[in-house]
Amino acid sequence: MQTATVGRAVSSVPVPGSDSAPNATLSGRVDLTPTIAHFVVRPDDGAPAFVPGQYLALGLPVDGRLLQRPYSTASKKGTRDELDFLVRLVRDGAFTPRLWHLDVGDRLRIGRPKGLFTLCPEDPRRHLFIATGTGLAPFVSMLGTLLRESRPPRAIVLHGVSHVGELAYRDRLERWAADAGDISYVPAISRPNHPANADWRGATGRIDTALGPLCDALDVDPAETVAYMCGNPEMIAAGERILEARGFPRDAIRSEHYWPAGSPARA
Amino acid sequence: MAYVIAEPCIDHTDQSCVAVCPVDCITADTMVDRKFYIDPDGCIDCGSCETACPNAAIFRVDQLPSEWADFARVDATWYRDPAAARAVVDGLAPVA
Repeated sequence: MQTATVGRAVSSVPVPGSDSAPNATLSGRVDLTPTIAHFVVRPDDGAPAFVPGQYLALGLPVDGRLLQRPYSTASKKGTRDELDFLVRLVRDGAFTPRLWHLDVGDRLRIGRPKGLFTLCPEDPRRHLFIATGTGLAPFVSMLGTLLRESRPPRAIVLHGVSHVGELAYRDRLERWAADAGDISYVPAISRPNHPANADWRGATGRIDTALGPLCDALDVDPAETVAYMCGNPEMIAAGERILEARGFPRDAIRSEHYWPAGSPARA
Repeated sequence: MAYVIAEPCIDHTDQSCVAVCPVDCITADTMVDRKFYIDPDGCIDCGSCETACPNAAIFRVDQLPSEWADFARVDATWYRDPAAARAVVDGLAPVA
């Protein structure tokens, strides 16, 4: 990985592609569906310190170069050895088809934690976490961290997916909702008529249709709630409009796009 | 080249872009440079820097405003010849 400068001078110009040797091992993998999987990565030097919500680049050598893509970790703050990532396979992507070929024990590159979409654990407001697909991962990190803090969190997790099998971390979130503090977990299925969702009895519809009724049902007060949104940029734009119309101050809405708005996802 | 840092960065160097770039491809020698530079060979086109920049200085190269079109070559030049890139920057935005 190249040298980056934060508040100091670099002594030399970094060489692109340098320092790209594998520095981590794939230590676990769970395929939830053919296109959604957990990848557990063990850095050789232990997991670097990170703030919940940050991402790290995973990298694989391709044609003599390091091909990298960033993924938010779902691991909670203070994790020492392994980091958990939730990844969607994009079949025509450059990176994820190669990642899907990895087996436990294979080597890869992991970068430094980066990103400013991070948890402020001292924020006393209720947390409204809104995610589509793999955008749930940073919120699992945030909520897992909040649960370890002394103050019981007040949080709502709205997770939108197409199919029931894509509800990653469902067991963990249901357990947290049942056992810990004031936590509500609301999974929503956008394609309820698909045969794979035939047994689904929970919330349905896209996030932008489920969000308003959810706020009413759970008595969300814009004056004492901070909203975090992550995933599809179109969902985020729609969610921002809904929340602002409900009276959320602009600075009470935080978001992380998983790919540039108006562009296809790179994976 | 996917993203380019244009004129609004000059003499501001906020560094939010550095904090969010997942592949560390935004660099400068802050003792000398008046702006940051994106390595075109390292950029993965994620757009994080564009969103984070408080000065609205970062653009996809195909969306670069015409008045800043010259910046498309400045960033790439810096990774081969920093002095040449700095000279172009000084020419485009003379020191006040």
